[in-house]
Amino acid sequence: MNATKAIFKKQLKATGANPESLIQFLIYPLLALALGAMMDQDGMIDSLAGYFAQLPLPQYILDEMISGVTGQMAMAMPNMVTMQATIFAGMGLIPVVAAIISDDIERKSLRFLSMAGVKPSTYLIGVGGVVFFLSFFSSMLFSVVGSFFGVEMLIFMGAMMSAVAGSIVLGAAIGILSSNVQAAAGLSMPIAIALGFGPIFAQMNERIANIYHIFYTQQLNVIADYLNYGVSGTPLWQSFSIMWANVAVLGILFALVYRKKGIVE
Amino acid sequence: MISVSMKNVEKSFGGNKVLEDVTFETYEGEIFGMLGPSGAGKTTIINILTRQITADSGQWHVAASSSEIGLMLEHDGLFVQLSALDNLIVFEEIYGIPRAHTTDVLKKVGLEKAAKTKVNDLSKGMRQRLVLARALLHKPKVLFLDEPTSALDPVTARGIYWLIRDLRKAGSTIFLTTHNMEEATNLCDRVVMLHEGKIIEEGPPKDICERHGAIKTTQDLEGVFVKLTGGGLQ
Repeated sequence: MNATKAIFKKQLKATGANPESLIQFLIYPLLALALGAMMDQDGMIDSLAGYFAQLPLPQYILDEMISGVTGQMAMAMPNMVTMQATIFAGMGLIPVVAAIISDDIERKSLRFLSMAGVKPSTYLIGVGGVVFFLSFFSSMLFSVVGSFFGVEMLIFMGAMMSAVAGSIVLGAAIGILSSNVQAAAGLSMPIAIALGFGPIFAQMNERIANIYHIFYTQQLNVIADYLNYGVSGTPLWQSFSIMWANVAVLGILFALVYRKKGIVE
Repeated sequence: MISVSMKNVEKSFGGNKVLEDVTFETYEGEIFGMLGPSGAGKTTIINILTRQITADSGQWHVAASSSEIGLMLEHDGLFVQLSALDNLIVFEEIYGIPRAHTTDVLKKVGLEKAAKTKVNDLSKGMRQRLVLARALLHKPKVLFLDEPTSALDPVTARGIYWLIRDLRKAGSTIFLTTHNMEEATNLCDRVVMLHEGKIIEEGPPKDICERHGAIKTTQDLEGVFVKLTGGGLQ
């Protein structure tokens, strides 16, 4: 417990000493707010319909095109809170955690912590705890921007924090695998993009949705959509189970990577 | 009582043999020096003894648990965004040490005025002293020092020698690597000379000099090394 507290405080001080790094915990909810306010769905559909209407095609084809495309567009228009929350929890946090841990490896700080008897799980809880703590406030902001209150807020926060836990553990595994911060960035970004953007593409394509069904970011998206639109093809308990199963599998991955890679290059 | 030992230890990295049949023993309360040029295998020996890597074959033992070992390596491993004191506080909390002891150690290494200075703003010598403070913080049974005074000015280096001697008086075993012959002669009770992964000579500095017909001066231990290897230390 002493060690967990020590690592947590160390990470909190290091983050506090670098206030720019805190912006990312604010920017995604604020983007959701700003983009949501800017997005004029009806205006976009009207513009597209106007464009089609100018095409030199028979009217019945134009009518079909306009109704088909605008209909699809209305269905595919993503909710900005869902989108930004998925990007934040699935994409933003993975490189953050990977960078913190790979920095400790690159500077050999982790070696000294390990020599002092700090276990991998202790280190992960200490460092990840700070990211979890800060992400809690981001998730609260998302919840307010998305107008989730009462039970909806509880469900949303549960989903967000489960996804945050998944990303922290995955980012930690990537951080341990990387021998320096640059390598961590190179390794974490493609994985983060795949996990963060996948669910957005899944909204437009059933095949992608089926493939992404097993990933925690997709389930966060499913839960957020359920809270927004009141419909979901996946029961809540199943979505949460998938997310926690993800966290468990990623935890095992972290332990394996730590054991295999160790802390000395 | 034997504090640190290695017997017939071999280690290769990617087919390149860095340690060959390394055997030595150090005793409790002793300052033991491992001499050799860069690339001789000194750090590899420390990494094996501190359980960071394993050897390919042979036996090795340190009569202390990981948390009873103090470590000062070439890479300082400091948390650069934290202050000098905050760096020590991390380990103080891990070991459950009272704050008064931490500030006392910081004072001993002459960093009390720099306690709140961020590591990034410390000079090389101050960083080195902070690393030593971290290594001493939990009163280790065995202290491994890898090139403890490299790139330090003579005054700072002398201060570190005093601290090392104080620690020996308190009963700790000090295992240091160096390519500084003067340091080895003045500080160490016994030394081994390592060349291309093999031990080529061992004993008290004075005995080694006498064995090779050299007068006991700081220059002569280096002379012995050159005579044995046909090359210099740098």
